Amino acid sequence: MVSALYLHIPFCARKCAYCDFPSWATPAADPLMAAYARALEAQLAEAAALGLVEGCETAYVGGGTPTLLGEKDLGSLVSAVRSAAPGITELSCEANPDSLADGVIDALRAAGATRLSVGVQSLDDGELAELGRLHDAACARDRVAAAVGSGLDVSVDLMCATPGQTDGGWHRTLEGALALGVGHVSVYPLQIEEGTALDRRYADDPCPWNSDEVQAARMSDAQAMLEGSGLARYEVASYAAAGKRCRHNMAYWTGASYLGLGTGASSMLSLNGYLRLCDAAPQLPKPPEGTVRARLTVTTGRRALAADPRLAALSASLEFLTGAQAAAEDLMLGARLVDGLDPALVSRARGLFGARLDDTLADLLSRGLLAERGGRLAPTKSGWLLGNELYGALWDLARGEVATASC
Amino acid sequence: MSTNDTSHIRNFSIVAHIDHGKSTISDRILELTHTVEERDMEAQLLDTMDIERERGITIKSNAVRVTYDADDGETYQFNLIDTPGHVDFTYEVSRSLAACEGAVLVVDATQGVEAQTVSNANLAMNADLDIVPAINKIDLPSAEPERVRQEIEDELAIPAEDAVCVSGKTGEGIHDLLEAIVFLVSPPKGAYDAPLKALILDSYFDEYRGVVATVRVFDGHVRKGDRLAMMQAGISFLADGVGVKRPAEQLVDELAVGEVGFVVTGLKDPEAVRVGDTLTYQANPCDEALPGYREAKPMVYTGIFPIDNKDYENLRDALEKLRVNDPSLTWSPETSVALGFGFRVGFLGLLHMEVVKERLEREFGLGLIATSPSVDYHVYRTDGEMLEVRSPQDLPDATRIERIEEPYLKAKVIVPPEYTGAVMQLAIEHRGITQDMVYLSEKSVEMHFDVPLAELILDFFDQLKSRTKGYASLDYEFSDYRASDLVKLDILLSGDEVDALSFIVHRDKAYAMARGLCDKLKEIIPRQQFEVPIQGAIGNKIIARSTVKAVRKDVLAKCYGGDISRKRKLLEKQKEGKKRMKQIGSVEVPQEAFLAVLKVDDQ
Repeated sequence: MVSALYLHIPFCARKCAYCDFPSWATPAADPLMAAYARALEAQLAEAAALGLVEGCETAYVGGGTPTLLGEKDLGSLVSAVRSAAPGITELSCEANPDSLADGVIDALRAAGATRLSVGVQSLDDGELAELGRLHDAACARDRVAAAVGSGLDVSVDLMCATPGQTDGGWHRTLEGALALGVGHVSVYPLQIEEGTALDRRYADDPCPWNSDEVQAARMSDAQAMLEGSGLARYEVASYAAAGKRCRHNMAYWTGASYLGLGTGASSMLSLNGYLRLCDAAPQLPKPPEGTVRARLTVTTGRRALAADPRLAALSASLEFLTGAQAAAEDLMLGARLVDGLDPALVSRARGLFGARLDDTLADLLSRGLLAERGGRLAPTKSGWLLGNELYGALWDLARGEVATASC
Repeated sequence: MSTNDTSHIRNFSIVAHIDHGKSTISDRILELTHTVEERDMEAQLLDTMDIERERGITIKSNAVRVTYDADDGETYQFNLIDTPGHVDFTYEVSRSLAACEGAVLVVDATQGVEAQTVSNANLAMNADLDIVPAINKIDLPSAEPERVRQEIEDELAIPAEDAVCVSGKTGEGIHDLLEAIVFLVSPPKGAYDAPLKALILDSYFDEYRGVVATVRVFDGHVRKGDRLAMMQAGISFLADGVGVKRPAEQLVDELAVGEVGFVVTGLKDPEAVRVGDTLTYQANPCDEALPGYREAKPMVYTGIFPIDNKDYENLRDALEKLRVNDPSLTWSPETSVALGFGFRVGFLGLLHMEVVKERLEREFGLGLIATSPSVDYHVYRTDGEMLEVRSPQDLPDATRIERIEEPYLKAKVIVPPEYTGAVMQLAIEHRGITQDMVYLSEKSVEMHFDVPLAELILDFFDQLKSRTKGYASLDYEFSDYRASDLVKLDILLSGDEVDALSFIVHRDKAYAMARGLCDKLKEIIPRQQFEVPIQGAIGNKIIARSTVKAVRKDVLAKCYGGDISRKRKLLEKQKEGKKRMKQIGSVEVPQEAFLAVLKVDDQ
């Protein structure tokens, strides 16, 4: 019933200075991690028994730091994914260089993973230290090379506009990543989130290294250098060699449904999928009239989840979207892609929004945020950089607030 | 007390300089007389508006009846009227005083006599009231009641040997104050059997009961069902009920001579009941109306525009409803190219303006833009005609102006001697002319100077407070009109003049002001997709410029499963922010930009 499956591992060896994700610093020997992995396997089995993951094509084990689980628990979890959803053809696992031992790579391959996404962030030791990363550039190079050598598809995450980063440092990081022969790169400007260590460190600092000019310049440089080496930008932050796009992430951006398990994980389910889940989890609230889509974020803590993995014991926060809201959300996400808005989506939206859709699109064209490319409306260079303007205008089509609930 | 006997009634106001503790003393009186039980007590009980409590100020007078068992064994009816202390609301004080026989003059034992103490004491004396001096805050270590007692005698010429020392905070001395009120304040005069003569001292609009009028009965009595008439308005109605506030509203059988209470008129037209009018019987009226009130004259004018043009009629309705209990509000329609249809509204001062704008936004849910405050300029054209110009847009072309006159004030500042230099400097910077300086005591000097009203309404008061570490107090009154070399400063955004940002300024200050304003607007106007040049101009001449740079990047790069809701919420928040902005040409301008002139530090 869902196209994609996500498993969240909320454990890290240390919290990075910029991180506000659901993840907690956890000692390597903590038995909680194994218990949590077993609990996810149990939930997965329960979801499979409901028929929820039937036809699922991609899976992603993210975090946190999944590789912190170690070869045994991580291998076992990946095998469980395989057996719950045998139709999966892309199975990614997120990794940090410092916990990506050869044994972990081998275990992942053996269990059926196809792709590794490595949190490199930078190949400059000074920048890495500022970000609070546990690895240095040499370790990152070595581990990424090992991953590429293993035959898995490899992606690296890189971060720009970070403290102490210079134009030259950024170029060297990009060149270094390309030299390692990866087929996929994700590029993020650093976002200083509230409550993080960086936020506290730079509370009274104007942070010129993170200004929108610097971010814009670094993102543009990244596009020029990566595309110059054959990695084409296909989403705001994503670059891939031919055939190496992350199909799991594409599912998020094309309105496909997905199931997310684990503390902090999000699912997006069709109304039918949601009702199916409700059969096993009667505590979930009834969707309001007019719901076509439900988004569910697991709020059960990692310990509670490890102690009682039954779907009937889950706590969650929920959003229920109407047909109009779902279409507006799909437009907003579609505008993140180089391929732009699918004509089928545009005609579905026209049915819902009528002339308002065409007015909005005409306005976005006239403001140079969208342009016509290969018969589709796709973001321009300023559409990439000023995405919030673009997405905001598309989301506005929906009007009215999204219904929320929690349990 | 349905008889002619008024000997047990005491009607009094509490007057003071702002922050000297009127509202706390009122609170303690309510407590001591068991009008409000301690458990129901909250601070500033008589300040019923949210804005009053949040800011800790009194804006509206509020009349409440309390019953006091005095030491002489008799029971007295006190009608207590809490009044504002800020200079903007002086008219409100004089309205309240007209309903009283006495006034408690509160002076802070640490601050002593200040500018509004003098003004309010004068108002009370001119109204022939019996004055009960009270020295407040004697619980504070820095209290100097003896010095303050001397100041009251020396500076106000009020006998103060019997001044009551009180603490609104601890309640000390409040009993003595109540006894002093019994002995010093005269009971009301008037005849119970005479035709009704009652002064409307306030009114408010109630959705269900129509206009409710607060009245003071000077002669006769009024009951539910009486057919009444308002003498000036010539409108008659049937009294739907009469009552008193204790402080919750309580219906009573009648309001008799000497009493203060409210009359439910049932009238649905907010304009029908005017504060200051005289209420009497329709069939058997009293022979002449009470003198009523001198109309409060607005000093400051600003444009008030709805952010959403569709709210224009709602804004008009809201202004009309506010006028019921704020008769000083005046307005006329105004049109702006940039902001559409709105009103030019007259205010008593900047605090009054802030309060009205805030009430319009809160009580009526309107999103509003206020433009730079202006005064009432007298513009003499070359053809000899005089125009009253209250909005920069109405200023004729410079070639057709013979001269412009602007209102001047007589300002009075009371300040410790060490700050006289700083005050003089401030006065000079604001085109003030020092008249004289009088030592009131070793510790305080009263300075007089003439200053243009237009200067005073910008940042004068804030500057005065900051340069004297909060010690200076200010009072002022209108003086006269004087010719000044004034010019209209225009602001252009992306090359287009924005009429709502124009203002009138003295030529000597135009350059500094233009530079300051261009810089301030650059801070206030958010970056947009395109660069926005800001220019200041007099006529066709550009005298200052700045630029809002184009936004280079505004996108959240990370957007996976769980980020989607977060991201959407962020976009919604961004949109909420935009709703508070006005689209002018292609530029999104936030509300506060139109008042930026108040935030410019031109020194």
